[in-house]
Amino acid sequence: MQSRKQERLGYLLSLILSVILAFAIGAVILAVSGHNPAQAYLAMLSGAFSSLRHVGDFLEYAMVLCVCGLACVLAARVGIFNVGGEGQLLLGAIAACQVGVWLDGQSAWLVLPLAVLAAVTVGGLYALIPGVLKVKLKVDEVITTIMLNTIAAYLCQFLAKGPWKNANKNIVAGTEQLNARYWFGGLVSGSNLTTAILAAAAIAFLVWYVMQKTSKGFEMRLTGQNPRFARFLGLKTDRMVLLCMVLSGAMSGLVGMFRVYGAEHLFKSSISNDYYFEGLMVAMIARYDPLTTILLSVFFAILKIGAQGMELSAGVPNQIYLIIQTVIIFFMAAERGIFAAIRERAARKKAQWAAQARQEGGAAHV
Amino acid sequence: MQNRAVTFEHVSMEFPGVLANDDISLEIKKGEVFALVGENGAGKSTLMNILYGIHTPTAGRVLIKDRQVTHFHPKNAIAQGVGMVHQHFMLVPSFTVVQNIVLSREPRKLGVFCDEKKALDTVERLMEDYGLAVDPTAVVEQLSVGLQQRVEILKTLYRGADILILDEPTAVLTPQETDELFAVIRRIVREKNMTVILITHKLYEVMAISDRVGVMRRGKLIGVKNTCEVDEKQLASMMVGRQLLFDQLEKSGTPGEARIEVKDLVVQDNRGLRAVDHLSVTVRSGEVLGIAAIEGNGQNELLEAITGMRPVQSGSVSVCGQDATGKTPGQIRAMGLAHIPEDRLATGLSGEATAADNLLAGKHRQRRFNRFGFQQRPAAIAQYAQQLYDRFDIRGAGIDAKAGSMSGGNMQKVVVAREFSFDTPVLVIAQPTRGVDVGASVFIHERIMEKRNQGCAVLLSSADLDEVCRLSDRIITMYEGKITGEFSADAVTKEELGYYMTGCRTGKEAVHAKP
Repeated sequence: MQSRKQERLGYLLSLILSVILAFAIGAVILAVSGHNPAQAYLAMLSGAFSSLRHVGDFLEYAMVLCVCGLACVLAARVGIFNVGGEGQLLLGAIAACQVGVWLDGQSAWLVLPLAVLAAVTVGGLYALIPGVLKVKLKVDEVITTIMLNTIAAYLCQFLAKGPWKNANKNIVAGTEQLNARYWFGGLVSGSNLTTAILAAAAIAFLVWYVMQKTSKGFEMRLTGQNPRFARFLGLKTDRMVLLCMVLSGAMSGLVGMFRVYGAEHLFKSSISNDYYFEGLMVAMIARYDPLTTILLSVFFAILKIGAQGMELSAGVPNQIYLIIQTVIIFFMAAERGIFAAIRERAARKKAQWAAQARQEGGAAHV
Repeated sequence: MQNRAVTFEHVSMEFPGVLANDDISLEIKKGEVFALVGENGAGKSTLMNILYGIHTPTAGRVLIKDRQVTHFHPKNAIAQGVGMVHQHFMLVPSFTVVQNIVLSREPRKLGVFCDEKKALDTVERLMEDYGLAVDPTAVVEQLSVGLQQRVEILKTLYRGADILILDEPTAVLTPQETDELFAVIRRIVREKNMTVILITHKLYEVMAISDRVGVMRRGKLIGVKNTCEVDEKQLASMMVGRQLLFDQLEKSGTPGEARIEVKDLVVQDNRGLRAVDHLSVTVRSGEVLGIAAIEGNGQNELLEAITGMRPVQSGSVSVCGQDATGKTPGQIRAMGLAHIPEDRLATGLSGEATAADNLLAGKHRQRRFNRFGFQQRPAAIAQYAQQLYDRFDIRGAGIDAKAGSMSGGNMQKVVVAREFSFDTPVLVIAQPTRGVDVGASVFIHERIMEKRNQGCAVLLSSADLDEVCRLSDRIITMYEGKITGEFSADAVTKEELGYYMTGCRTGKEAVHAKP
């Protein structure tokens, strides 16, 4: 029997072990490729913390990871694996951006809410498609969301190269730049950190609150854990799945809006380098727990920005960050299988001993 | 000594927590049709899975044709001539008949290529030899179930089987297909001296086809008889057992108004076959109506249709006077129905959630558990859950432990506690004590009786006949989706019930039926 406390402790233990092992494996790779691991890791640390600018950068990236990760957690809570956040993010970004371009000259009080509305609506509707297919036709959402990612990416590229292209000839594919008065205010000069992080923090709190503290969150959890049981209880599971899917898409779209109005100020395809997928990995490592997702977002953002600093100062390719991240996932996934195998062996041994003991006992009586 | 096909010597099989086979010794002769009967969970399939090498017994010896099996693996069993046709077919639906039959043992050309012509020739010869005709080039998914089964049999014959195990072969067949199957069995036994072991719980099939019959109950082999020396009634009583385990429960009050009314109901099972066939039944307040039926005769589909978990094809259901036909489970619950489902892990609870969450579920929107109407109040929830946990004597690692980590009996108590605490005028209960130990069973029975005496209308279905007899006021027997008899519980014996459960005997209904 396992209580929740024990389970949390077990999770923490395996997380720490996985991180240590991942860094150890990273060190071996560094050593083999001719770098000094200690130096590289020190460079990574200073890459993230050496200046306020870097701190600002990793906080901005933590914001992206966190909202993307929570979007994934929200869908996972009702049993949906939303792999399509990347597409929802891109579409949300370009829609929000174009609203700012079209309404150029209007008050920021009009433009910003409309941009948010555009990002949320477009992202949410784009997530509704796989949601409806799943609920009504039982089409696997993993496949549809992945496919819709590609469609969204090319659609955005088409728009940014074609109808909505920047008049400036230097940019190959990008929209017009937004008027500076619509930008989120910078918090640390020279870094990407803007006031968008406050909005993101509010969203993160809200999502955590709804999922962990309310009866709606309770219903979502039951739906994700055992949909048949949820239906048996009388919950409207289909509606719940659609709602969470739309909210997940809306959050992804909003991340796109934050990127455009915060760091980039125009839409180009590098607005997201698979940021949603990295957020999704964080959510997976956090086992879809909202609070853990928020905390781990900061951790992985430090790693990533640190790795970029390390590349500049120590000449170590920043891909080491990806290696460490994926090795952690690998260990976290393997851990369950390993423990399950150990438990099963033990149970079988025990049954055999019991049978033997009974037989010997029976023989003694005869 | 040459006429023994299979010998079991003191074979026991223990799964963690369950003794599925208990010291079984049995000889099966060459060239006979041996029927193995018993209720669900009696251990028939486990015993045959040992013979087929899927399980390694925890004690005892198995001999195939007088040679002891040392290493249990289907590969070795097949090499010894054992073939098994499972209840759920193991065919590749998109392959042709020939491809399925020769799969993994294809005749080779140049060592690597499949010699399709030779495969076709071999299979056609096989079909002719055994008189089992199927179009060899047809794609399996387009064949009827009966023909697919024939392909399964051909597959085992192609692999050289002379001991054929058929696991509930007629469960999926129409009566005509069953007749054809029996003709095939008779032919291969007579002409090829094959041994056929038939797992079933339809007794008329035993009488129709077998030479000898073994009866299993709760993991033990109760007896082996020559089929010609027994009748169905004797077998039925051997199957269900005679012992009465419990004291009589106190029943009080008289039945009142109708609370569940089912009229002319038709429901399909998961395969789209008719599971409930124009059935009508009424349950009144203050009575327990028990359904006695062997697994798969439509009782589960009936209960699921009443509770909204399964669509209704035609007919009507009403609960507490309101039309419940085709409504959602939530709507039907609102009419005043609570439901203990047949399968607690798949339907009755969430194994991932804590005991407290499982006890709360369904009442979580009530005001006493929410601040401002939406924020959960953990203290109130914990207090309520703890109270139920104690009242229903649930034993586990506490209300914060995952329900999935509890024992089956305690999980069942969680379900019972939650559903009974809705205090509804109607209860629909399936398998209330499956896998539950005797102590917990008695406890659950007492709670059900309490509800009945308070005026609740209870519809009960159970594979355990003792349970049905003990709890019910009235009993209906179901066979293939139809009611075959209705009895007053104190005027019928288990043997009689067993007789009506195992075949369609509407002709004799008048003798026992109460108006």
